[in-house]
Amino acid sequence: MDLISETAAYLANPAHWQGANGIPARLLEHVELSAASLLIAIGLALPIGLWIGHTGRYTGVAVNVANLGRALPSFAVITIVLPVTAALDPIAGFYVYPTLVAMVILAVPPILVNAYAGIAAVDRDLVEVARGMGMRDRQILFGVEIPSAIGFIVTGMRSAAVQIIATATLGAIVGFGGLGRFLVDGIAQRDTGKIWTGVLMVALLAVTAELLFAGARRAITGSHVRHP
Amino acid sequence: MRTSRMLALGALLLALLGACSTGGGSKPTIKIGSDDFYEAKIVGEIYAQALEASGYGVDRAGFGLGGRDVSAPALESGQIDLKPEYIGSGVAHYDPSKQSGDPAAEKAALQAILAGKGGGITVLDYASAADQNGFVVRAETASQFNLTKLSDLTQVQDQIKFGLALQCPTNPVCGPALMSAYGFTQQTIDNATLLAACSQPMVDALAAKTIDLGELCTTQPDIAKNGWVLLTDDKSTQPADNLVPLVRNDYLAKVDRAAFSKILNDVSAKLTTPGLLDLNRQFVFDKKEIADIAKGWLTQNGFLH
Repeated sequence: MDLISETAAYLANPAHWQGANGIPARLLEHVELSAASLLIAIGLALPIGLWIGHTGRYTGVAVNVANLGRALPSFAVITIVLPVTAALDPIAGFYVYPTLVAMVILAVPPILVNAYAGIAAVDRDLVEVARGMGMRDRQILFGVEIPSAIGFIVTGMRSAAVQIIATATLGAIVGFGGLGRFLVDGIAQRDTGKIWTGVLMVALLAVTAELLFAGARRAITGSHVRHP
Repeated sequence: MRTSRMLALGALLLALLGACSTGGGSKPTIKIGSDDFYEAKIVGEIYAQALEASGYGVDRAGFGLGGRDVSAPALESGQIDLKPEYIGSGVAHYDPSKQSGDPAAEKAALQAILAGKGGGITVLDYASAADQNGFVVRAETASQFNLTKLSDLTQVQDQIKFGLALQCPTNPVCGPALMSAYGFTQQTIDNATLLAACSQPMVDALAAKTIDLGELCTTQPDIAKNGWVLLTDDKSTQPADNLVPLVRNDYLAKVDRAAFSKILNDVSAKLTTPGLLDLNRQFVFDKKEIADIAKGWLTQNGFLH
């Protein structure tokens, strides 16, 4: 089949594995941007989600804001942010920040909602017992609620990571590197091998992230929660 | 009662027969299509309103179809009957070796190709209005490096950040042509930021100084608005991209071919490059509706009253 042979030929060409436009360089760019936006999103969303889940305050506001984030198309965010950040910094503000901002906005809702929902779902009797034992709020959160909800919390991060990896390809339309270059340039150049190389790499990266987070979840819940 | 019914039926049959036999005199609805950017849609709308003013029905479902990869097969298969085309890029779609700086030669080449496509497609008269790929720098870059034409870039190419079209590295009239005609190096092409030509990100990147040279369209109003400098293509690497209507022969066979062609040829005769630039400016900066822009142009040029 054309598709497979063209993709195989593209992958087999050593020139496609070298330099700034090569597969390793583009893969690294994609991983860097995905990791950076995931970390920023965790930094923003996790404390808020935990706090809301613990206190039960502002849940309506949080859920609505998070859903608004879900409703914003990433490409719209990129094109709105671009002129602003590019004016501040012609290089990073053009190539990196628009995609980074859009990916953070994309990643916040699943992390925030899962953290909040995970904490809120912790058995209230357990929390009351902890309180009865004289544990303070902070101790309850870190000693009881987070360990009980960790599965939920990590799942939120996992779905955020996969969404980022798939969606960061949009950045190539506005000059960001990453794996999206193979898709955007490949479509313009009618190069099937290039397009499917991009598709394959994005899929592999997404599956790798899935597995890493699934493994992390198993490792963490295994050490904290003892199932009968 | 019966006789009058028979008479009515007879009259109807006669009328139908008349419509068929005169053939050329009828004005069946024409399906007009266009590529998916504003300039092509505006020109398509001008064709549409000019034909409507002469009594033709117009079906606009094919407006903004997509790129040439979509609109060319649509015309060949008869999903649309008419579309505005850029003559050089149109011929390059079928045979890149046939594009040149000469619109007359390109028209002959395109007509020879299209005669055998989809049961025959006719290339009508082309307008003097042309929209080519243009290489644009900011005024301060032009003065810093003394740039007025593309060959001025050869010596300073490593000091300039290029923004080129996504397909430039492989498009014969872009990367390869710039390398052979102007001595650009492979490295210059490889290091370029690739963005869609004429797109808003390309404009933003040039404005923000992310890039120093951007590939825009020569009729793009952003150039004049920002006081940017369009570098002359002094080695004539870019194809002549004059606007031209393409019509399916099976549609032309249903109408008075000469009268139909005259309407669009008269439009092409009045459509100039500055005129095209003004139409684009009305869309981009005045935010006018395409239908109003087309109506204004047709009124101004005596096609509508």
